[in-house]
Amino acid sequence: MIPKSLLKYLVLRLTFLFVTYIVALTIIFILLRLVPTNPVDRLITQLLQFNPNMTPEQIREYMKAYYELFGLDKPLWMQYLTYLFKAFTGDLGYSYINVGRKVSDIIMSALPWTLFLVVPATLAAWFVGNAIGAYAGYKRGSLFEKTVLTLSLVLSQTPYYWLAMLLLYAFAYRLNVFPPGQAYPPTMVPNLSLQFILAVLYHYILPFLSIFIAGLGGWAIGMRVLTIYELGSDHIQFAEALGAKESVLFKYMFRNSMIPQVTGLALSLGGAVGGALLTEIVFSYPGMGYILNRAIIQTDYPVVQGVFVILIATLFIANFVVDFVYALIDPRIRIGGEKI
Amino acid sequence: MKLEDLSIPPIVYDLLRNRRFLIGISLFIFIVCFSLVGGLIYTRNPFDMSGPPEQPPSAEYPLGTDRMGRDILAQLIWGTRYSLYVGVLVALIAMPIGVVIGAIAGVKGGIIDELLMGLTNIVLSIPSILLAILIAATLPTGMRTYEIVALVIGVTSWPWLARAIRAQMMSLREREFVYLSRMAGYSDVRIAFADLLPNIATYVFMAFVLFVNGGILGEAGLSLIGVGPSRGITLGVILYWAATMEAVRRGLWWWFAPAGAMIVLATSSLMIVTTAVDEVFNPRLRKQ
Repeated sequence: MIPKSLLKYLVLRLTFLFVTYIVALTIIFILLRLVPTNPVDRLITQLLQFNPNMTPEQIREYMKAYYELFGLDKPLWMQYLTYLFKAFTGDLGYSYINVGRKVSDIIMSALPWTLFLVVPATLAAWFVGNAIGAYAGYKRGSLFEKTVLTLSLVLSQTPYYWLAMLLLYAFAYRLNVFPPGQAYPPTMVPNLSLQFILAVLYHYILPFLSIFIAGLGGWAIGMRVLTIYELGSDHIQFAEALGAKESVLFKYMFRNSMIPQVTGLALSLGGAVGGALLTEIVFSYPGMGYILNRAIIQTDYPVVQGVFVILIATLFIANFVVDFVYALIDPRIRIGGEKI
Repeated sequence: MKLEDLSIPPIVYDLLRNRRFLIGISLFIFIVCFSLVGGLIYTRNPFDMSGPPEQPPSAEYPLGTDRMGRDILAQLIWGTRYSLYVGVLVALIAMPIGVVIGAIAGVKGGIIDELLMGLTNIVLSIPSILLAILIAATLPTGMRTYEIVALVIGVTSWPWLARAIRAQMMSLREREFVYLSRMAGYSDVRIAFADLLPNIATYVFMAFVLFVNGGILGEAGLSLIGVGPSRGITLGVILYWAATMEAVRRGLWWWFAPAGAMIVLATSSLMIVTTAVDEVFNPRLRKQ
């Protein structure tokens, strides 16, 4: 059975995320409506170039159909309400550029690639970074600690996409050991054959590494400080005075220091996704960043809007999952009492 | 963090003896000098075609030229200057917002605290880089100057500081010296800024540095996705040019490597400074 305090905490978090999601959707809507673009005029111009003999009658009909397709024929407040409602159902309208193509289809072809890249790379960086940081903090003053600290400081400031460029240059163009970008060979059609999966993994290594390596440093730095704080705490010194083994001490310390890092994971996901978007551009990896980049250049605003709506929704779901895990591991919430 | 120590000279002396601090600060001063004085000594214009395209580094072109024959060293000098400029502007915009909101929420408490923290948490939940990309993408190209880009990054990146300042204020406001000020009848605003803020001065300094770093990295991110300063040159803009003109595929390492290295160097030197400051001023981190 779920304890009452845990339930209350989760309901509160869910309400907060729901309200925030609506605020975020509103911001996206307002910002993108401030841009003076008229997709219909552009499309009509294109049509006229293609078929100069259109009668004014036909043009008017086309215009009407386009306005209806993009939902621009309704007043602004109704556009807003429809958009809000549809954002929850996953209907994100139609692309301005690829006429007739649903934004949700475009995004669904990209989102799995981004998740496939961000989730494992971020989690791996989190685990490894924390382990290294904890050990460095534990071995205070050693050469290991100093090396880890300096390296982590540099890594934590390394932009993902620059590391991506370096890796791409070194391993794909110089050494020719990895493919130069994209998610799979252009000659292949996505399927579930072993050959295709191997090709995907082969293309996956460099983008994965650039996110993994660039992510390590920040976690190691944070964990080192937390460990040092924890080592100075009463319960560790008490255990030490009792003569507890080093492995036991390390375990006590590690478990307590991890709690803030779980919340940190939730907070950093946004940054990780942002970094991954840029990395995708460097690798021409067919994820959300690639699509967003193209949509911004083409001023395809429904796609830009859709990318943000889906990314923020995904992040909020991830946040909620992390909150849930946090509640499970933190006894202050699991058993009751105030969250600090 | 006990920062009453701030006024005691020995601590400042400790800082000047801290090797990490000295390394970090010298590196940073060197970078600043490079960007400010470099342009006077090395007078090539970063936008001019000053030589044949795609030249590798040589005596004539120390860092080579790009695909349009523009000099990379000149780009690096001017790019560093404007990246630092954007970074400092971001800090000057984000820090006051974070400090004021955090201080008011922490000192006032009650409904004002709830409202301000509600706002802070909402902005915090929307990743600042995504929000910045969204805002920058909706600005007309001509409007994306250095200052506007800094403003966009600044107004999206303050929330974590507001939260941290609020937490510090809450723990400080129950101290005796605050009660004394209350009894003396001073206003909340005076208590916040005269009694409490000096206590978190190093914290605020560290936040400033982190905002400068965030600004440099944020600008580079915005530029790479194509919504950075539109007519200027920054380290991010150099990387954007290199990315869109296929520097990697064509093997022009001297084009994209120095700009990124400069970002890493500038931001890491500042990070080293903050870690050293933290180590000297924070009693919990100080070595026994």
